Amino acid sequence: MTGNEVVAWAALAAGADIMYGYPITPQNEIMHYWTRMAPKYERGFLQTEDEISAGFATVGGVLAGKRAFTATAGPGNILMQEAMAMAEMMRLPTVVVVTQRGGPSTATVIYSQQELNLTCFGGNGEGLRIVYSPSSHDELFLYTIKAFNSAWKYRFPTFVLGDGYQSKMREPVTIFDPEARGITMEPCRPMVGLSGLPGEERDPAHLRNTYNLEDELYEVLMTAIKEYEAIAPQVVEWDTYAVDDAELLIIAHGVVSRAARAAVVSLRERGFKAGYFRPVTLKPFPAETLRPLAARARNLLVVESAYGQLKRQVQAGLYGLETPVTGYLRPGMGITPEEIVEFVHAKELI
Amino acid sequence: MRPLKLKLEAMGIKVLGWETRQVTGWGEAGTVLHPAVRWALHQEGDVIIDAGYGTAGAGTLHLLEGAGTASDLRVLAVINTARPATATVEDIIVHVRSLGRVDGLLNNTHLGEETTVDLIQAGARKVTAAARELNLPVVATAVMFELASFIGERDICGNPVRAIKRYMPMAFW
Amino acid sequence: MAIAAQPQMPRVWRAETKPHKFCPGCGHGIVLKALGEAIDALDIQERTIFGCDIGCSLLSWDFFNLDTVQTHHGRTTPVLVGIKRARPELVVVSYMGDGGAYAIGAQHLVSSASRNDLVTIIVVNNTVYAMTGGQMAPTTLPGQKTETTPYGRDARLTGRPILGPELVAAIAPPGAYVARGSIANIVQLKNFIQKGLQNQLEGRGIAFIEALSSCPTNWHTNAAATWGFVEKEMTAYFPVGELRTPEEGPSGRFQEVPARGFQS
Repeated sequence: MTGNEVVAWAALAAGADIMYGYPITPQNEIMHYWTRMAPKYERGFLQTEDEISAGFATVGGVLAGKRAFTATAGPGNILMQEAMAMAEMMRLPTVVVVTQRGGPSTATVIYSQQELNLTCFGGNGEGLRIVYSPSSHDELFLYTIKAFNSAWKYRFPTFVLGDGYQSKMREPVTIFDPEARGITMEPCRPMVGLSGLPGEERDPAHLRNTYNLEDELYEVLMTAIKEYEAIAPQVVEWDTYAVDDAELLIIAHGVVSRAARAAVVSLRERGFKAGYFRPVTLKPFPAETLRPLAARARNLLVVESAYGQLKRQVQAGLYGLETPVTGYLRPGMGITPEEIVEFVHAKELI
Repeated sequence: MRPLKLKLEAMGIKVLGWETRQVTGWGEAGTVLHPAVRWALHQEGDVIIDAGYGTAGAGTLHLLEGAGTASDLRVLAVINTARPATATVEDIIVHVRSLGRVDGLLNNTHLGEETTVDLIQAGARKVTAAARELNLPVVATAVMFELASFIGERDICGNPVRAIKRYMPMAFW
Repeated sequence: MAIAAQPQMPRVWRAETKPHKFCPGCGHGIVLKALGEAIDALDIQERTIFGCDIGCSLLSWDFFNLDTVQTHHGRTTPVLVGIKRARPELVVVSYMGDGGAYAIGAQHLVSSASRNDLVTIIVVNNTVYAMTGGQMAPTTLPGQKTETTPYGRDARLTGRPILGPELVAAIAPPGAYVARGSIANIVQLKNFIQKGLQNQLEGRGIAFIEALSSCPTNWHTNAAATWGFVEKEMTAYFPVGELRTPEEGPSGRFQEVPARGFQS
């Protein structure tokens, strides 16, 4: 099935209660499938008037203690950021699926990896978010389920960063009930509408995202930041291949990592010592794991369908290391293993 | 779709539809119906129409001239029981009923490269059971060339087997 | 020696967070009192969720013994719609100023009205963006001086005051309740709000109540002038009363059309 259909089934399997959405290509089919399935499984749906309200309604849904999610792309992702900033400040377990398209502005409806910056850092804060970057339909299914669990367990807005190619490609996928794989869904707790008479049987929940003084804000932020840093080791995920003796380390995320891996296989077949590193979580970014691998290599090549968004994260994470970093940067363009290999040789990276 | 179009045309199959370069800039969703497609039912010879998904179901065919009166038009519902939405006999029945006019079912149960004979045969059973309930014939079971010899001329329910060569993986979507 | 009588406050009022932070002479205290009395009368304290917007309305974030969420500017209604759709047994109240409701949040208002969302919206109309220092707002009167209309609002350039209840009354389907009250008549305002909550409880449709209110701080008016503005100047543009009750249809041209799909 297509990636969009996979996401809908994953949300269903994860026990998502309600989806709030707004049409934007290439994620529309997530809504199409969800609206067809929702009545059969007694789940909810509301198509709102724009992504702003979709994001804020999702915020409302999680405040009420329900597994609420939404999906968007491109200009819709920009509008979504306002609600996500509120979620970040108030530690709300929102789940958003982003299907990257060309940018900026309307650009193309097709594909890119140009929404990394926006999805990882799009609010007006420090970017305390969890961002998963799947590369296959099996991963799209697994990480959509994981997104709900990470969100509700750690209470940071969580994102599944897909792209238009994954959304529309057809691949076989195994869909499963989380329980069958030993995954227990994290329970949901409401933040408003708690039981008991507020003011008498319990304190009322007074939730705000505004503060009066610098110190107040600082305290709130530092608490969240410390918690984020503490849970990062539990959340961070990455993948490697042939890195032990790699002289060239190719770094890519999402669907491009498939081409990167294939390129490494191809180079190895001809005797070149190439290796591959793939961040599976873009936030938290697996910099600590990458450092020793990058230190051993002679060259790093970042491959992405954007102009440096991943490269910047890599370089920030590796600051101080002397291994040169090159980028094969193709904003909005698909990338094949052959191109990568050609580039590697053209730039004499190995 | 272009490499597919060229390949089929090389095999002597005329493909009715736009070339990408002809419709660039027309917008992301549907386009103006190609005149040859609109008048497809008036073409000489056999015409195969792929109507795809959408809430209109078989209603999409009303875009074609003569759809209401074409005497030899057959509307087939192609069913892949490996897809969760049509995985059970009941789901297949509900799905087919939602399409509108359907004259027959075609069992296209597969999982791409991971298709097995057992999967196809299990699919045949489900589709045949649904067809019985719907009072519709099962026109055929489609089987990829590589597996056709393991099944033979008829599937386990006696439906005719049509061996197919898959070209769709060449198309990106 | 007379003992000063304590004013009777609604049970849902939270004493621990008083005195509140509103300016002296602000209408918010009166509107919130009316809301509190309505909640008490209907005995829905346990399941009412109170949402407030940005601006002076945000100062009500700890006002009540109610679960409360302060949201972003103009986004209060969508957040509460999100809550209501997820848990329909809760009663949701969206509390905003005229800027949040009619400018930045206008599209949400229009869509919620069209959907007849089961939410009770209260808009406190004081004709200015008060918290940010008194800029022109959607409901600023023509000729009114504000920080961004220092020579008086020019209706040719900036439009006329938005009539929010009239807008909602024109587009909301039957079942909606729409009214405009004023702090000058708290009994009437409380009745309107109570009817608005009732509308949600009975599942009839959207409830929208605008309350004409005061801002002497940004109007730079004394007590007499403040009341004069609310009671005379504002009512000239914003008539007080009920515009829609649930039995009536929209005031715009409206035809009930039965739902049908395309026949194929």
